[in-house]
Amino acid sequence: MKRQQPIELFMPPNMLKAKVGGGLGGLDMAAMKRAEAAIDGLKSEFAGWIADDVHALVAARAQYAKAPDAGSRAALLRAAHDIKGQAATFNFPLIARVAASLSRLIGELPPAAALPAGLLDAHAGAIQVIHRQGLQTSDDKTALALCAELDARVDEMLAPRK
Amino acid sequence: MSGYRFDRLKILAVDDNVHMRKLVVTILQAFGVSQIHEAENGERAWAVLREANPDVVVLDWMMPGMSGVDLIRMVRTNPQAPNPFVPVIMLTGHTSMDHVRLARDAGVNEFIAKPVAVKTMMSRLVSVIEHPRPFVRTSAYFGPCRRRRGVEEYRGPERRAEAKHPQAAE
Repeated sequence: MKRQQPIELFMPPNMLKAKVGGGLGGLDMAAMKRAEAAIDGLKSEFAGWIADDVHALVAARAQYAKAPDAGSRAALLRAAHDIKGQAATFNFPLIARVAASLSRLIGELPPAAALPAGLLDAHAGAIQVIHRQGLQTSDDKTALALCAELDARVDEMLAPRK
Repeated sequence: MSGYRFDRLKILAVDDNVHMRKLVVTILQAFGVSQIHEAENGERAWAVLREANPDVVVLDWMMPGMSGVDLIRMVRTNPQAPNPFVPVIMLTGHTSMDHVRLARDAGVNEFIAKPVAVKTMMSRLVSVIEHPRPFVRTSAYFGPCRRRRGVEEYRGPERRAEAKHPQAAE
């Protein structure tokens, strides 16, 4: 018979509730409105922020080309992942989509497998083009076709490993 | 109106990306949180945690050096952690089940999938205030209970001890 290990389950005191109070448990709509307004106030900075992120990605890609090791690969993944997570907030949803594809490629290929240079460049190039052309909607047909092609190429690359 | 005194909260926001950090801080400030500490990596966050002992941590996953998941493990299990029960809200672009499971098994309380939305941030904050989860201690795990429902009734032996992933035992 297998030996049973003990499990301890307990509820710590809810110090947070004691600190902030609030009896209704709902969302604070006024606070959310203030937050939406505050984000609107940041919008003038978004153009600079996305430019910084694209620049960081291009630099990380160049560094990986120069020295393709675990550190530069991790830095490239972080740069792609950052853009995936925030480009939509900065009003560039298609850049977020391309970055998601790039993140998937880098994240799902085993560390021992070399990253395909052509496909990395295609993603980095697509992000630069979408940024340069200021495509802030998700309905540009040419860009959508490009995104679909990149997705398909990544699928092909990852398929043998599934 | 919810009546929460968010101004009494002390929150640590951890993200290596300065823009995402600014976005999170802006949202929290608009909620009324006045004590916000920032850290740009896991190592700095650990130092701030020990100095400031925040009430809530909003944490990015992917950072150079110590990752968000590494930091949560330290928060939950390192004897030098000031509060192993501190609620951790993980803000991440990772949304696959494998990633969610990994973070959950490290001891995360709540997730926010990027891109961050105001309503989700508020909802997760209210969740850690109103619906704290019980904590579980086993030989392989310490952290919030990873089951959402029915856990209060279970008082039996550790059933996952022979599980494939030892940290999943609870």
